[in-house]
Amino acid sequence: MNATAAAAVSVLVRPFARIPEVQRRRTLLVLLTAIALVMPILLDNDANTDSLANAAAYATLALGLNIVVGFAGLLDLGYAAFFAIGAYTYGILTAFQLQPEWSSFWEPFHFLGLVARMPAETGDGSVVHFTLSFWLGLPLAAGLAAFFGVLFGFPTLRLRGDYLAIVTLGFGEIVPIVVRNWSDLTNGAAGLNGVAAPRLFGWSFGVDAVPYYYVAIAMVALLIFISIRLRDSRIGRAWMAIREDEIAAGAMGVDRTKFKLLAFAIGAAFGGMTGVFYVAKLQTATPEMFGFPVSVMILVMIVFGGIGSVWGVVLGAFILQLLQSWWLQDLSEWLHALGRLVDNAWLQRIDLVPSIELIFGFILVGMMLFRRQGLIPATRPQAALSIEQQHAEIRRGGFSDLKLQGLGGDVRTGEAALDIQDITVKFGGLTALNKVELMVPKGSVVAVIGPNGSGKSTLFNVITGLVEAEEGSIRFHGEEIKGLPDYQILAKGIARTFQNLRLFPNLTVMENALIGQHARLKTGTLAAILRPPGTREEEMRAREWAMEIFSIFGNRLTPRTGQMVAGLSYANRRRIEIARALASRPRILLLDEPTAGMNPAETLELAEQIKSLNGLGLTVLLIEHKLDVVTTLADTVYVLDHGEVIAHGKPDEVRRNEEVLRAYLGRNAQASLAGMGTANVA
Amino acid sequence: MTVFDLLLQQTINGLSLGAMYALLALGFTLVYGILELINFSHFNVFMIGSFISLFVLQGFGLSGQEVILTGLPLVGVLLAAFLVTMAFCGGLGIVIERVTLRPLRNVKGPAAMITSIGVSYILFNVILLTVGADSKNFPNPLPAIRWHIGEATLDFRVLLIWAVALLLMAILYVFVQRSRIGKAMRATAQDPEAARMMGVEVDKVIMMAFFLGSALAGAGGLIFGLYYNFTSFIIGFTAGLRAFTAAVLGGIGNVPGAMVGGVLIGLIEAMSGQFIATAWTDVIIFSILVLVLVFKPAGLFGRIAPNKS
Repeated sequence: MNATAAAAVSVLVRPFARIPEVQRRRTLLVLLTAIALVMPILLDNDANTDSLANAAAYATLALGLNIVVGFAGLLDLGYAAFFAIGAYTYGILTAFQLQPEWSSFWEPFHFLGLVARMPAETGDGSVVHFTLSFWLGLPLAAGLAAFFGVLFGFPTLRLRGDYLAIVTLGFGEIVPIVVRNWSDLTNGAAGLNGVAAPRLFGWSFGVDAVPYYYVAIAMVALLIFISIRLRDSRIGRAWMAIREDEIAAGAMGVDRTKFKLLAFAIGAAFGGMTGVFYVAKLQTATPEMFGFPVSVMILVMIVFGGIGSVWGVVLGAFILQLLQSWWLQDLSEWLHALGRLVDNAWLQRIDLVPSIELIFGFILVGMMLFRRQGLIPATRPQAALSIEQQHAEIRRGGFSDLKLQGLGGDVRTGEAALDIQDITVKFGGLTALNKVELMVPKGSVVAVIGPNGSGKSTLFNVITGLVEAEEGSIRFHGEEIKGLPDYQILAKGIARTFQNLRLFPNLTVMENALIGQHARLKTGTLAAILRPPGTREEEMRAREWAMEIFSIFGNRLTPRTGQMVAGLSYANRRRIEIARALASRPRILLLDEPTAGMNPAETLELAEQIKSLNGLGLTVLLIEHKLDVVTTLADTVYVLDHGEVIAHGKPDEVRRNEEVLRAYLGRNAQASLAGMGTANVA
Repeated sequence: MTVFDLLLQQTINGLSLGAMYALLALGFTLVYGILELINFSHFNVFMIGSFISLFVLQGFGLSGQEVILTGLPLVGVLLAAFLVTMAFCGGLGIVIERVTLRPLRNVKGPAAMITSIGVSYILFNVILLTVGADSKNFPNPLPAIRWHIGEATLDFRVLLIWAVALLLMAILYVFVQRSRIGKAMRATAQDPEAARMMGVEVDKVIMMAFFLGSALAGAGGLIFGLYYNFTSFIIGFTAGLRAFTAAVLGGIGNVPGAMVGGVLIGLIEAMSGQFIATAWTDVIIFSILVLVLVFKPAGLFGRIAPNKS
């Protein structure tokens, strides 16, 4: 069925395929805007316009949840809480719920038009009536919701995905309960009444649906704009890095705490704003409007439209809202007509509207089983490479034509770039590293070898802040870095690759390399949204730098920059991981078995490229099993066994070291080697 | 009543609620231990269980509180109600796993959890649309025998609930510890790959976990009806979340932990209802959930299942 649908779509789309993509998109956007603007005139029906306004409000909620779930990958099941916080913020500050006694304290607020003075109902004093403007309410509620987003987000940061879902669900339940029971503030279960309608230049929106519709559409447009700008920026890339692989995100310089909280805050702000709109439109607020079913409904919308897809979630929200308010009604009436025709009493009575939640259930299950990417997938299909592009040009002898300005430049003075002293790591009873001492001189290549389980990768994890050391010190260019969080260590100039590849599989090659530059770029949230010239330039330079780095590997990566990493060959994924690390402009590069899984020709190619990098003055620390690679590259070799350095020195010296032979081959093997020696003499 | 009597009475009430939550928590723990999935459909399997047992009791001609049974007829009716409910819910659990969750077993991310929310919604609305929104009177055929301890009362019904819950949990515990498939379950919880290579039929083990968990949830549903004398389509959500909290409190994946956690949550609910306010019970329980997850994610007794992430 999917194939048929795809075929139908392609027949429809084919005539337009000649028009350049940018132009096609622009035309579509103009068309969509025009339709949105004339819709109320076309409908000429207040109830229908009202349904559209509600659908638009849910689209803004879906956009907000999409930031949290779709971009940052944090499953939030209590999103309606922020909707409630925004709604009650505006509701309380315009309804007649709170009426403190008038005093001179309120004078300045009165001057600003935020409060009015009213005669008290009892006695002869006067009381305060809050009269917050709708337009001020929007940013205020957004800010307050964002604050609660951070507050709720904070304890959940360390939790794994599924626990996070349940904790957010808990918060989502607590907020309506507090609202229901804090009657003085919220009027409890009875709900707030008399919430003020928005006013524009003294004219009140009242209960007419049309002005609300235009406000809602404007909000949708604004939030789509913000979502897209954020998605295609340093901020959005950091979120997606967290979504794809938290550990790799940290190792590439993303401060996970900060960016997770940022996602919570921005998502919550969207929800808070929508809350203001929603209660201003209904002019009432009750706790039931913000319970778990609402959170699930918004989740259904983004699952239906496409998790992470901006246009998808808007479409999903509109379809599901209109299904509820228009189409199920129509469908029921058609069934009634059919029932009258065939004289079936059951068909005449059937009402599909209450089954909307049943439909939601089927949508959730159906989409997860059959179309997880949703109606409009977040990632578009990619063009296949041409034969020429696929043909790998084998580049031997490293590179000499690349300058790679700003990479390396360390002069071999013999001073330590990285100086590790007495590092001890214990996992429970197991000592993974025992008083390890290791020094990497500036501009050199140092290799660490040792049998499996000897602690090599643990050593890398300690240096990059993934594992805590019990004692010892790690100095990088004289500065103590032990105990720093992973993302700060990257910012100091230590970049790494992982033994078992930790790329961001559902992002493109280019995006992976751009995330590598996260710590070197400055774009903040506001700059990402407004995109001033400085930000554009930074982004352009970041892409240029990524292309420069890709050219290290000849034409292996260059034609594939727009491709998803998950679909590439193993050797190319190894190269991308190195490119991602290099993109961060490290002062030392830590490579964990870079040639694992490569064939001999590819191994040699990569070894020479590493050599060339070192020739530019880049310091390299390398874990490697292939001894020929070690011999070609390394100035110094350290041998680890059972967490201890058993030997170090020049490659040739280490190769002859008896203890090393014993560690690799075992005691008996060495004895038999010795035996063989005597046999030969005899 | 004196404070002591109140405490005693609420302990009796809390232990009854706790027995129900413990049965429900076991289902969460069994499934989570193996699949690391928070199974939201479990909430409403419990709710369906209470309706199935309602239908069975109605099938015996029982309705309301008028008909009182004693002796063999009582034992027979209760046995039939428990067996039918547990078998039905167990079967339902197997179907849910087979149809909606197995195809997603190797899919990373929240897909399986989202699916289980969908299934939960479907179950919830099927009952809402067929049985209706009003709560149903649950028959109570038990003789009204009461004992007074000070001013607190202990009735026959409560004793029966304790006895049934203890019996079921004992059977489950022995099954998981001693039986061949129970050992296979524990092995799969530790490391599904290794278990598969050692010849454990992982599909069968997962099916068994869903069957057992859902059957116990069904028994919990019947106990809910007997205890509160009503049932409704909405009971699954609150009870389910409390039971999930119980599972987390006891260390999710840990079978005895879930039992103790359930009893603790039951006691907390009863005491907070008495000494604070019923309206805040859920806030207290959710706060416990959040605090445990944040500060002691392994629960009070530690997780049996290792972290497979």
